[in-house]
Amino acid sequence: MKSRIQTAVMTAIIVAGSVFSANAQDASTILKKMDNVMYSPKDMTGKNKIILIDKNGKEEIREATVQQKGNDKRMFRFTAPASQSGIAVLSLPNDVMYLYLPAFGKERRIATSAKNQNFAGTDFSYDDMESVLFSVKYTPKLVKTEGNVYVLELTPVGGKSDYSKVIVHVNKTDYYPELMEYYDKGNTKVKVAKYTFKKIGDYWNASEIEMTDLKKNHKTKMQMSDVKYDTGLTDDDFTVRKLKQ
Amino acid sequence: MNRFAESIVKFKWLIILAVAGLTVFFSYQANNLHINADIISSLPDDDPAARLYKEIGTQFGGNDMGMIVLETDDVFKAEVIQHVKQITDSLKYTNGVSTVTSLTNILDIKSSEWGIEIGKLVDEYDLPVEQSQLDSLKNYVFSKEMYKGAVVSEDGTATAIMFTLLPDEDKQAVAKEIKDKIETLDLPETIYFGGLPMMMNDINDLIVSDIVWLIPIVFFVIAIILLLSFKSFRWVLLPLLTAGLAVIWTMGLMAVTGYELTIISNIIPVVLLAVGSAYTIHVLNSINHNKLADRKQALVQALRHILVPVILAAVTTAIGFVSFVFGAYLTMIKDFGIFTALGTLIALVLSIFFVPALISGLSMYNKKTVIENEEKQTILTHKILLPLVKFLFKHPKYTLIGWGVLLMLCIGGISLIKTSVNMADYFKKDNPTRVAEDVMQKKFGGSLPVFVVFEGDMQSPEVLKMMISTEHFMKEDPNIEITQSVADLIEQMNDAMGEGKKIPDDKAKIEQLWFLLDGQDVMPQLVNDNLSKGIIQSKFASVDSKELEAFTAKMNRFIEENPNEHCKIELTGMPSVYVKLNSSLINSQYNSLLIAIIMVVLIVGLILRSASKGIFAAIPVVATIIVLFGFMGITGIPLDIATVLVASIALGIGIDYSIHVITGFNKHLISHGDAEKAIEETILLSGKAVIINVISVSAGFLVLLFSQIVPLQNFGLLVAVSMFGSGFGALTLLPVILILVNRKRKIIANNQ
Repeated sequence: MKSRIQTAVMTAIIVAGSVFSANAQDASTILKKMDNVMYSPKDMTGKNKIILIDKNGKEEIREATVQQKGNDKRMFRFTAPASQSGIAVLSLPNDVMYLYLPAFGKERRIATSAKNQNFAGTDFSYDDMESVLFSVKYTPKLVKTEGNVYVLELTPVGGKSDYSKVIVHVNKTDYYPELMEYYDKGNTKVKVAKYTFKKIGDYWNASEIEMTDLKKNHKTKMQMSDVKYDTGLTDDDFTVRKLKQ
Repeated sequence: MNRFAESIVKFKWLIILAVAGLTVFFSYQANNLHINADIISSLPDDDPAARLYKEIGTQFGGNDMGMIVLETDDVFKAEVIQHVKQITDSLKYTNGVSTVTSLTNILDIKSSEWGIEIGKLVDEYDLPVEQSQLDSLKNYVFSKEMYKGAVVSEDGTATAIMFTLLPDEDKQAVAKEIKDKIETLDLPETIYFGGLPMMMNDINDLIVSDIVWLIPIVFFVIAIILLLSFKSFRWVLLPLLTAGLAVIWTMGLMAVTGYELTIISNIIPVVLLAVGSAYTIHVLNSINHNKLADRKQALVQALRHILVPVILAAVTTAIGFVSFVFGAYLTMIKDFGIFTALGTLIALVLSIFFVPALISGLSMYNKKTVIENEEKQTILTHKILLPLVKFLFKHPKYTLIGWGVLLMLCIGGISLIKTSVNMADYFKKDNPTRVAEDVMQKKFGGSLPVFVVFEGDMQSPEVLKMMISTEHFMKEDPNIEITQSVADLIEQMNDAMGEGKKIPDDKAKIEQLWFLLDGQDVMPQLVNDNLSKGIIQSKFASVDSKELEAFTAKMNRFIEENPNEHCKIELTGMPSVYVKLNSSLINSQYNSLLIAIIMVVLIVGLILRSASKGIFAAIPVVATIIVLFGFMGITGIPLDIATVLVASIALGIGIDYSIHVITGFNKHLISHGDAEKAIEETILLSGKAVIINVISVSAGFLVLLFSQIVPLQNFGLLVAVSMFGSGFGALTLLPVILILVNRKRKIIANNQ
C-alpha cells in the first residue's frame, strides 16, 4: 500500500516535472523547428510580386526576381513597373547592401544601421526582411496551444529591437508560422504578418506574406511564385558584378 | 396695436407654455453644442489663398504637425540627450501619433565616395555620454544645414521634437494626452508645446474657461446694477430671465443648425446678457409708468406705447451685429454676427410677448416702483442732470466747441491705428501658446508656415528644377531660413549616386532615385499619392505686416515672372492669409460701418418720419465712432478680428440713446409747444434711462476684461468706451444741436 502511494507520488512528480520541462523545452524546440522550416533550403530562386495597398484600398504592384543563398545572401531584381525595372538590391552579411540603378549604370554601397526603416516603400522593415534565425533573435515562451497552433511569445534578445514582443502562431503539425503580431515598446500591436505556406518539394514555402502596418493602415503582400530550391547557386551569384547584369 | 397687446394678455398661458417648451427643447439641444478650436477652419473658402492653405494643410498633413521644444543652457549634454529620447519614446508610444522626429531618432544620410550610409544621427541604444562624443555630435549637427536651426537652434540652447498625428484621430484628445504625458516626466528643462494640434487644445481650454467664468460674472454684475437702479428683485429677475432665455435659445439654435462655439462666439452669452436685458427694462418701465387703475388695461396700454420704441431699439442693435456679416473675412466673425443678431431679436420677442404674459399670468404687477423711481429721479436729477441742462443752455457753443476739439484730437489719433492679424497675439502674454510661439520664432525661424504648391509631374526634371530655383529665391529673404521639398531629396540622392548635388536631366534617373525615397515618412508631407502635386515647405520668421506683405508680393511676382508649361505654381500659407486678413480688416470696417450707418439712419428717419431727425440721431453715434477710433489710435489698441466689430455694435446700441432723446423731445414739444422746455424735460426724464442703460451695458461688456483672449478684452473695453461716448453724446451734443437749431429757427421766424 505504502509503496503504491510512493509510486503514485513519484509518478506524479515525474509527470509534473516532465510536463514542466517539456513546456520550457517545447517553446524553444517549437521555435527551432519553425526556423528549420523557414531557413533550411540551401538556396532558392523565384518570382516575387509585391502588392502595396494603401488605406483607401489603392494598389500598387511591383515585381522582382529573387535569389537567395543560405540565410544572409539575397538578390532582388525588379522587373516591373517599367520605371523601376532593372533596379537591383544585393544584401550581404554584416548589413552590407549594394544598390544598382540602371539609369545611372552604376551601383552604390548602402550601409544601413537604421534597420527599422522600411524596405523600398513596403511595410517590411530591413529588420523584418533579415533572415536571422528567430531562435537567435528571440527568447520564446509558450503562451498556449490553441486549435492547431502553438502560440509563442518572443522577447528580443538584447535591447536593440523596436519591438517589445512578437506573438507567433506556429502550425502544430508542420511548424510553419501562420501569424506574427509585432508589439512596440508601448505594448501596442503595430504590425501583423499573415503567412500562407505551401509545400514545394521537400520544403515549405511562404507563398504569401501579408504585412499590415496598423498605424498607417497600409498593407504589403509579398507573393512568391516559380520557386525552385537547391539549384546550386554559388557565392559568385551574389557579387557586385552580377548585380550590374 | 391695441388688438395685438390685448391678444398677448389673452393668450398669456399659451405664450408661457410655448416659451417653457421651447426653452426645454433649446437647452436640451444646447448640450450638443460643440467647441471648434480650429482657427484654420474659420478661414473663408471664397478666398483662394485661404482655401488653398486649408487644402494643403489637410492634404500634406501640415495641420496635424506638432512640436515640442526643450530649452536649456546647452543641448549637447548627456542628460539632455537622454531627456530628448524620453520625450521621443513617450510620443512614439502614444496612440494617434504617426511619426516622431528628434535629435535621438532622426535619420542621417551621408554620401561618400563609395556610396550611401544610412544611419541614425544618434544611436538611441547607445546615447553619447563622453564629452568627446557630445562635442563631435555638436560639430556634426552644426555642420549640416538639415539640422542647424531645424532640430537644434543655432545657439545650441534648444532642440525641437517634431511629430505628426494620424489624420483620423481626435487631435485635441491626442494633444492633451501628449501634454499630460510629457508633463508627468517632470524634466528639468523648460518645455514648450507648439503646432496647431497643441494650440487647438489650448484654445479649447480658453473657450471653456471663458464660458465657465464670464457667464456667472456678467449675471452677477448686471443683477447688482439692476438692483441698485431699481431696488426691486422683480426688476432684477425679469430682465435677467429674458436675457438668460435668449442665451439658451441662441445656443440651442446654434446647435440645431450645426454651428460650433469658437473663440469669438463663446462671448455671445455675455453680449446677450448685457444687451438683452434692456428690452425687458423698457417694457417694465412702461408698465410701471402707466397709472390706470385697471391693471389689465394698464398693461395693454403700456405695451402699446412701448412696442415701437423697443422694436426700434432691438432692430438697430441687431443691424449693428449683422452688418459685419457682409464684410468679415473669418467665418467665425460672420457666425458671431448672425447669432448675436438672432439672440437680440429673441430677447426682443421675449420682452414683448413673454414678460407681459408672465406679469399678467402671475399677477406680478408692481406697486412701489413708481414712487421709488421718482425718489431716485430727484437724486440723479439734482446731482447730474439739472446742472447739465443749465450748462447746456448757458454754453451751447462751448459744448459744441468742446466736442469739436475732442473730435479733431481723435481724428488725429485715427491715423495711429494699427492692425493686428497675428494669431499669437490673441493670447495673453503669459499664455503657454503665446510663449511657445515666441520661442519658435526666436529659436527655430518662426512658426508661420509657407507653402509653394507645384502642380505638374513631380518626377519631371523641369518641375524639380523650378522648385529648386524657387527655393533659392525664397531663401534670399532674411525671414526664410529653411525650405524643404522633394527636389532637395532628389538632389541629395543624386549626390549619393555620385553625380553631384543637382537635379538629373534624365527623367528615368529621377524615377529610379524615387525608389530610394519611396515609403519614407517625410514623403507624404512633400508630394501627393499620384505625384501630380508637390510642395515647398518653409517658415516665415516675422509677423510684421509690412514684411509679410513685401514677401507675398515678391513671391507672387516671382511666380508670375517665371511662367512655364510644366507646372502651375501657387503661393499660400499664413503670410498670404495674414496679408488678406489685414486688408480685409480695414475693408470690412468700412463696409460694415457704412451698412450700419445707412440702415440705422434710414430706419430711424422712417420711423420718426423725418430725414433730418434720422441724421440728428446719427450725429452722436458718428461722433462716438470717431472718438472710438481716436481712442484706439492713441492707446495703441489694434484693429483685430474682434475690435473690428466694436464700431458697428456701438452704433447699433448707441443709436438707442439718440432715439430716446429725439422721441422724448418730440413728445414734450407737442405737449408744451416750447422747444427749450421740451429739451429740458427730455434730458431730465430720458437722461435717467440713458444713464442706467449705459452703465448696465458697459458693465456687462467690461466683464470681458476677464476673458482669456486678448482681442475680446479689448473688445469689451472699447464697447464700454463707446457706450459712454454715445450716451454722453446723446445727452450733450444732441441737445445742444437741437437748442441751436431751434434758436436759429426762432431767429429766422422772428425776422420774417
